[in-house]
Parts: sequence; C-alpha cells; structure tokens
Amino acid sequence: MSESLSDLQRRMALALRHGSALGRDTAWAEFAAQHVTGNERLSPVEQLEIYREQFWLRHTSSLVEDFPGLGGILGQNDWEKLAEQYLLEVKPDSYTLRDLGQRLPELISRADWLPHQPLCLDMARLELAYVDAFDAPDTGHLAPERLAGIAEDELAGARLVLAPSVKLLEVSYPVADLRRALRTAGDEPVAIPEPSPSCLVVYRRDLKLWDMPVSPVAHAFLTAVQAGAPLAAAAEQAARTPEAEQELGERIGAWLQEWTSKGLISDVQT
Amino acid sequence: MNSVPDLGVGVGLRVPHYAAILADAPAVDFFEIISENYMVDGGKPLYHLDRVLERYRVVQHGVALGIAGPDEPDRAYLQRLKQLARRTKTPWLSDHFCWCGAGNAHLHDLLPIPYTREAVTRTVERARMIQDFLEVPFALENTSSYLTYRSSTLSEWEFISEVAERADIGLLFDVNNVYVSAYNHGFDAELFVRSLPHARIWQIHLAGHTNLGKYIIDTHRGQVLERVLDLYRSTIALTGPVSTLIEWDDEIPELPVLLAEAERARRARDEGLAMRAGAPRPASAEPAQPASLEAHSPWRQGGPRESAASEGAE
Repeated sequence: MSESLSDLQRRMALALRHGSALGRDTAWAEFAAQHVTGNERLSPVEQLEIYREQFWLRHTSSLVEDFPGLGGILGQNDWEKLAEQYLLEVKPDSYTLRDLGQRLPELISRADWLPHQPLCLDMARLELAYVDAFDAPDTGHLAPERLAGIAEDELAGARLVLAPSVKLLEVSYPVADLRRALRTAGDEPVAIPEPSPSCLVVYRRDLKLWDMPVSPVAHAFLTAVQAGAPLAAAAEQAARTPEAEQELGERIGAWLQEWTSKGLISDVQT
Repeated sequence: MNSVPDLGVGVGLRVPHYAAILADAPAVDFFEIISENYMVDGGKPLYHLDRVLERYRVVQHGVALGIAGPDEPDRAYLQRLKQLARRTKTPWLSDHFCWCGAGNAHLHDLLPIPYTREAVTRTVERARMIQDFLEVPFALENTSSYLTYRSSTLSEWEFISEVAERADIGLLFDVNNVYVSAYNHGFDAELFVRSLPHARIWQIHLAGHTNLGKYIIDTHRGQVLERVLDLYRSTIALTGPVSTLIEWDDEIPELPVLLAEAERARRARDEGLAMRAGAPRPASAEPAQPASLEAHSPWRQGGPRESAASEGAE
C-alpha cells in the first residue's frame, strides 16, 4: 500500500474539515498547489475549497434537520457557532449522517458560553431520543391478556421487555411542548419557558413518534424494567419513599394497561 | 463476467414520493434506493421499502463505501449492506469510484481518486473482496469531480476500465457525471464514452446539474440536459439496452414530473438503440438551463434523508 496515496488522502481529509476558507491559509494553499492541478478557471486551492465548503454545508444542514428545537432556542448565529464548534471537535465517524449528532449533548454540557445552556441540553437529549426512536428495531406488542394470564407466583419474577424505541428522559424544562411550539410558530417569537422538572417517555407507535409525561415513580419503575429488573425488584427500586410506595400500589395496574395498549411493552418473560 | 438483466427505465426512490407510489402504484420499471438510507434497524424507512418491494424491482446504490480510501472497508458496514441486499434481492449492487474519508472521519462525500497505479491496485483488490463478500454482482460508478490531482498518471476512463476488467466487476455509467467532469476538466466526453468496456456497463444514471460558469455541480436538480441525453444515446448505441435511471435529488418535483422525465429517457434510449441498428442520430432540442445554484446550498446524493424531524406527529 502506497504511503503517499494514503498520506495525501489523510491530509486532504484534514483540509476538508478545516474551519475556514483554505485560500486564507498559506499552508493549505501550498498543499493544494502541490497536489491539485487547478485549471484556467479555478486555482488549485479554489478547487479544493469546493469540497471543503460542501463538507460544512452538508454536515451543518444535517444537524439543523435533526435538532430543530435546539436551533429554535439558539437562533441562527449561536446555532451556527455551536455546530461549527461541534464539527471541529467531533469527527463524523459513522457512514450515516443519522449518527452525526450523537455527541452533541456532551458538547453542550461543556459549552458555558451557550445562552440557556441547561434548556439546550434538555432539548438536545430529547431530539436525540427522537432520532434513536425513529428507526429503532420493530418488535411485536405485548397482548394485554398475556400479562393478565401470568400466574401470581410467577409475577414477582417476571421481566417486562420494553420496545427498543422506548427512551426514558428526565428533563428540567418542558422541552417537548417547547419543541412543538417552535415547530408551529413559524417566524413568531416563542417564549423561553421557566424550569419545570418532568419525566418523559419517548416511543414509536404506528410508525409515529410520541412523547408522554410520566410521574417520577413510573419513570423509576420503567428505568429498572429497561435495565432488566424483574417486576418485584423494579417495584422495590421505584418505591423509595412511603409516598412512592403508595403511588405505585395504586397506579401500577393502570400503568401497565396503558403502556401495553400504547405498545411500550413488547414481551414478558417468566 | 456476471450478466445482469436489463430492467428498463427506472427512477430513484425518494421520500417525498412514498405516499404517491404506495397509493397509486404507478408504472415504473424499477426503483433504485440509496442503500445507507435503509441500513437501519426498523421504523418508517424499512416499512416503506418493504411496501415498495411488494410491487417493484429494487436496485441498491450506495454512497458511503469509499472503496479507494486509505483505510480498509468497514466490515460492519459491509455486513449490514449484505443484510439489506438479502432483503431487497437486488440483482446487482453499486457504489462509486471514490473515497469518503480517512482515519475514522467519514466526510459523506464522493471524493475523487488520484488515477495512479497504486490506486488501481488498491481498488481492484477491494472490489474483488467486496463482490465475493456480498455475493451479489458488484458495480462501481464514475463520479462528478471538481478537482484533478497532479499525481494522476491515467485518464479517468483508463482508470475505471482497468479496475472493472481486473476486478471483474460491472460499471454503473453516469452519463451526466461524464458531462460534468468533461466541462470541469476539459476532456472529450465522447472519447470517455467510446473508451469504456461497454459489455461491463450494467446500469446508466441520468440527472440534471447546475452550471455555475466556472464549474458545473452535479446537483441532481432539474431535467436532464439534451446534450447529456445526446451522450446517453451515443452510449446506448455502443452498449445496447442497459437499465437506465433518472436521479432527481434537489428541488424534487411531484412524481408525475419525475415519471415524465423517465419517459423522456426511454425515448432517448429507443433512439440510441435505433442508432445501434444503423439509424442516424436524431436532432436535439435543448431545454432551458436550470437556474443557478443558490449560494451555500449543499448537494446530497439520494435527496432528503427520512428522519425523526420529518415525522408528522409526536
């Protein structure tokens, strides 16, 4: 394998991820002159710049597409600044642009300059949950009678299997409602909401994405179930206080019925 | 050498047309999909693909293999591609003569290859391996390019011909890409067409492009230019009947407009076949050039990706 061919490609890949026009950088202009022919209409660095510009346009537009709520909070200038910082720090390492934003929450949590940073972090986590739920594996839905038919002595050890599209979130702001408001507002300004902690379940049903608020106790129970805990252990983990224990006792039957009907539970193992 | 069927004239399967295709089942010889858009675990992309597969032949075309890159092809990617090929039963599977990134950075572009002996050897070895691994006839497509390298020692047609022959693979011949690159680099497009191993051309792509004056961009926007169709007729006169596909990825029109463009290609294909039988080349009428590209607009193979943001309900 020729080192020179691979070296040329590696350096060119760096050039295309460069954050500003290559023509303004003497080293990159020299690299282009050394390797690219140019023609009577375009210099070597101008030819290379066509590809660099497209790298940035293609990747920033993909982020805009997947994070409309985040863009709506930040406005164009700060959103562009964040996307640029992200693409400079994080190499796109997947063959699909679907994975491009996977590490955006991590960057947002470090980006102290961001206005509404905690809100942005919540929104990015929510929008990533949508991305992941969108094409998660298809599974069957648990028929309610299967759950009802489990023998009492097997119930405590039974394990519920959540559908792969189910994503559980704890957020400090009402980001799901804000995202909807931003999407329908057009050019109208949308007020930044006050903090309002909540728990959300993002899931897919009938090929569409949904978000559903749940109580902290229900969230804790679902989190334990998703981690593989049997029903009794999941209930124990969710019932940390007397109030939680009471809520769980009163609501668990209704919750299971609702979650089953909405397709959140794909199977039960006894 | 593999032999593949002539499927007629098809169009690229694109998200904005799903509803019309599933509701109306229009007459289309075949659809081509961008493989990577369906290399997912579930949800809408595979639902729609399966519905289309119930009624139509589907051919797979990839944009992310990067066969000539500095790193070996990604085995996990190939495995997933193979799984999809089993689902679609694609009669052949294609990607591009290009590289896509380096050192775990995927740039999501079809970057031009330096046409050197080393690049020939690398591409041949990998093309053979990939065809064996996928167990499906494998073809590579010539790309549009916006730069050429000082290190190139072969012409583009010499490069792709040698790779195709030595690796024993097919060619997906993109006539518009030849037109675009001929303009950008000043070579003779007809010479390119004449110089290929015509029996290895398994599929042809046609598309619109955008002329910015100093260079042309392969935007897949608008109608196929009549000059590109002329080159297509010349190609068909040399190859005989070959599956032909219209790509339209930017400012995607309503499905009837796309299907009318496929019919236009079908007429040109018939004229090319008549030329092959000895008829003279028909006189061409040039449609208007597409409007110039807006500044700062990305071009993207395969049109918009179906994504969570395109969902109608939450």
